[in-house]
Amino acid sequence: MNPFGKINFEKREDVSPIGRTLAIVIALIAAMLVSAILIKLANASPLDAFVNLIKGAFGNKRAVLETLTKSTPLILTGLATVIAFRGKIWSIGQEGQFFLGAMGGYWAYRIFAGLPAAALIPIIMLAAFLTGAMGGMVAGLLKAYFNVDVIISTVMGNYIIDYFLSFMLSGVGPWREAGSYYQQTAPIAANAYYPILFANARLHMGFLIAIACSMIVYLILNHTPFGYQLRAYGSNPRAAKFKGININKIIIVTMFISGGLAGLAGTGELFGVQYRLRPDLSPGYGYTGIIVAMVAGLNPIGVIPAAILFGALINGSAQMRIATGVPTALTSAIQAIVLLSLLSAQVLTRFRVRRVEHAE
Amino acid sequence: MAQNNNPENKKNQQETFVIETFQLTKRFPLVLANDKVDINVRRGEIHCLLGENGAGKTTLAECLYGFYKPEEGEIHFNGECCNLSSPNDAIHLGIGMVHQHFVLVEPLSVIENIVMGTDHKGFLLDFAATEKKLESLCELYDVKINLHAKIWQLSVGEQQWVEILKALYTGVQLLILDEPTAVLTPPEADRLFSVLQRMKSEGLSIIFITHRLKEVMQVSDRVTVLQKGKKIATVNTKDVTTEELAYMMVGRKVVFSVHKDEVKRGDSILQINELVAKSDMGLEALHGINLILHQGEILSIAGVAGNGQKELFEVLVGVRKALAGDITLEDKKITNNSPRMIANKGISHIPDDRIGAGLIADFSVEENLILGLEENPPYRKGLFLDKKYIRKFADESITQFDIITPSMKQRTSYLSGGNLQKVILARELRQSLKVLIANQPSRGLDVGVIEYVHKQLLEMRRHGVGILLFSEDLDEIFTLSDRIAVMFKGKILKIYDAQEADLESIGLLMAGIVDKET
Repeated sequence: MNPFGKINFEKREDVSPIGRTLAIVIALIAAMLVSAILIKLANASPLDAFVNLIKGAFGNKRAVLETLTKSTPLILTGLATVIAFRGKIWSIGQEGQFFLGAMGGYWAYRIFAGLPAAALIPIIMLAAFLTGAMGGMVAGLLKAYFNVDVIISTVMGNYIIDYFLSFMLSGVGPWREAGSYYQQTAPIAANAYYPILFANARLHMGFLIAIACSMIVYLILNHTPFGYQLRAYGSNPRAAKFKGININKIIIVTMFISGGLAGLAGTGELFGVQYRLRPDLSPGYGYTGIIVAMVAGLNPIGVIPAAILFGALINGSAQMRIATGVPTALTSAIQAIVLLSLLSAQVLTRFRVRRVEHAE
Repeated sequence: MAQNNNPENKKNQQETFVIETFQLTKRFPLVLANDKVDINVRRGEIHCLLGENGAGKTTLAECLYGFYKPEEGEIHFNGECCNLSSPNDAIHLGIGMVHQHFVLVEPLSVIENIVMGTDHKGFLLDFAATEKKLESLCELYDVKINLHAKIWQLSVGEQQWVEILKALYTGVQLLILDEPTAVLTPPEADRLFSVLQRMKSEGLSIIFITHRLKEVMQVSDRVTVLQKGKKIATVNTKDVTTEELAYMMVGRKVVFSVHKDEVKRGDSILQINELVAKSDMGLEALHGINLILHQGEILSIAGVAGNGQKELFEVLVGVRKALAGDITLEDKKITNNSPRMIANKGISHIPDDRIGAGLIADFSVEENLILGLEENPPYRKGLFLDKKYIRKFADESITQFDIITPSMKQRTSYLSGGNLQKVILARELRQSLKVLIANQPSRGLDVGVIEYVHKQLLEMRRHGVGILLFSEDLDEIFTLSDRIAVMFKGKILKIYDAQEADLESIGLLMAGIVDKET
């Protein structure tokens, strides 16, 4: 027999809030330690790198505002993920719907460009929400009526949207800026810019919209019959069916809202930050949104700090690179490490370790 | 009672038991499943483990089978202390077990299942040798089964024989059967008992787990009673009465029947006409069901599991399509209406699979109490759920139905089986309902809760609700029913008035034997 007895992992019934917070802190420390190895491998001082990362993200008011700017699309794509994943509808389409939203907004802009900002911007946002939502809804319809796996349809959808945008911006495409060497549209006119919140910073109205959306998603999930049904379907689709919840409706509406939120993220980047539609409008905000949602524990309010954390990583990495020469690509690696650490922590907190001694 | 205590046992060194436990203790988080249990099983005896659900019978058996590892205590096999760290260890020693849930591969034949399911050496499977050995086993114990049949072609009762053969095939000295009669008709159960006697006479020892007192009296030599994880006593079966065993099992006097008022049968309320539906496998499972349910009546569907009850229940609830025929509620056709429409018309249901089909385990008790009602006005106000009203409704439900939970915010999965059922009852019965479709409403519950469920059903009956009761428990059917319909292979064979029905003819009908009575 093993003289030390046996180590048993037992499932824990409930995790206290203190335990959960502690787990997050430990996970972040662990993530830093692992990242430090990578930074070391890039021939930089990990301490320097982290100091610059944090300075770059939060070092002064401007940095903070820029971090919030970067977190804005992540809040929205994170929320798009939360609402779908709460129903165990595994949509990976946020990246595509982000671009659909940007395209829908741009399309509305081209039609209504003459209107004053107070009318134009709401129209753009509505168009963006609806085009993103349509994209999501297609996946929802395919799932509801043909039982097409949502992961497959959304990933494939991402490619279709990506190539469609490429076409629109190509030499023969209708949106290409005349005479431009690049795949991009002509710049947006200033009357369509999202209002800036602080002078000399890029933080725009989209941030407030994102915060409002997280409140709305919270309300939907916790205070409406629809949200109740969505959660019921996510936890136990069979019981949901027996108790008469219209599952097809749930899937379709959920994907509609999810796509719409991702679409708002896209249009916010276009009219709030970049002012030009280009294929690199998103450096992967849609996919990072999935990570943000997971880190937030699929909590719509938790998405805000989670998105700010990842916004800070993106924003701070620029200064980290300038000061220490660590390549920005490392940011993606660090993001992944943070995600894996937090997910591991979430799983581990659900167990307690017990040593079993034998009576013999 | 001659010897119902343990201290003497230890001194009696002459007798070696096949299996013996000393102070066996098994804990689960929050539960002490077995608390210092001493049991012993003699060679060539049928030993019953009797107890209510949750008494720890299955856990104890799983410890003996190496599936669980006890935290404390010892298990001795043939007088030697053994350390069972997996079922494989147990099988090597000669311990076999037939679980409540079978582990068989449906598209494969009996022989193939037994070859695959047992430990075999070498690379190739020797079907011919297996077949020969199985044939001789069948002959020895007088088991009749087609070894070449595919599992899906067999009835549940026959599948159990396959599991038993599988255990025998590995050469067991001790066979553990966990509630084997739960899936059998009375004649099939009798058949099992006679084979068990045969095995016993061949020197096998059998541990027979049950919560049915009748079976204990019928089949066992000795019986060990467990209650809440503790051993109450081990007694010779012939020295005790059913009443004494019931008292040991529950810890209080049990009333074996609930009071049933005379209720005058009202008008017909639910009519089922020539209903046809398919099973999940795509085979026709209902071949033209005809039933009429009246107000204030309990109409029971008796039958062995797998004869179309599941399909009938699901069609009535609205989650399975009827292919032909129709269902009429008070002169209005409701065939193939959506589950929500059916519920809103006053048909409530209690599913047999509480956690799987009746509740959302991750939801709070409060949330589960409004499952299916979330869109209806008092629970919804405008766009939003009326949390205040819901809280009040939950509070009242918990009091009225005596649901034991630390709070209405408690996660439902932490509730005991009885309380889960009470959550469902509260939700379904507090609505204004015309028809209740109850599927195995007391299965797996403690005697006390069963009594409660029965009282609630009779209360509904008194209020004029028509109740369609699906049950595999004939005692329950006889206690509650006004009429009894026997279902076999997707048909209603006969409908009895409860006064005229007798156990024997219903038992035969359940097995599909029609022309026995004249």
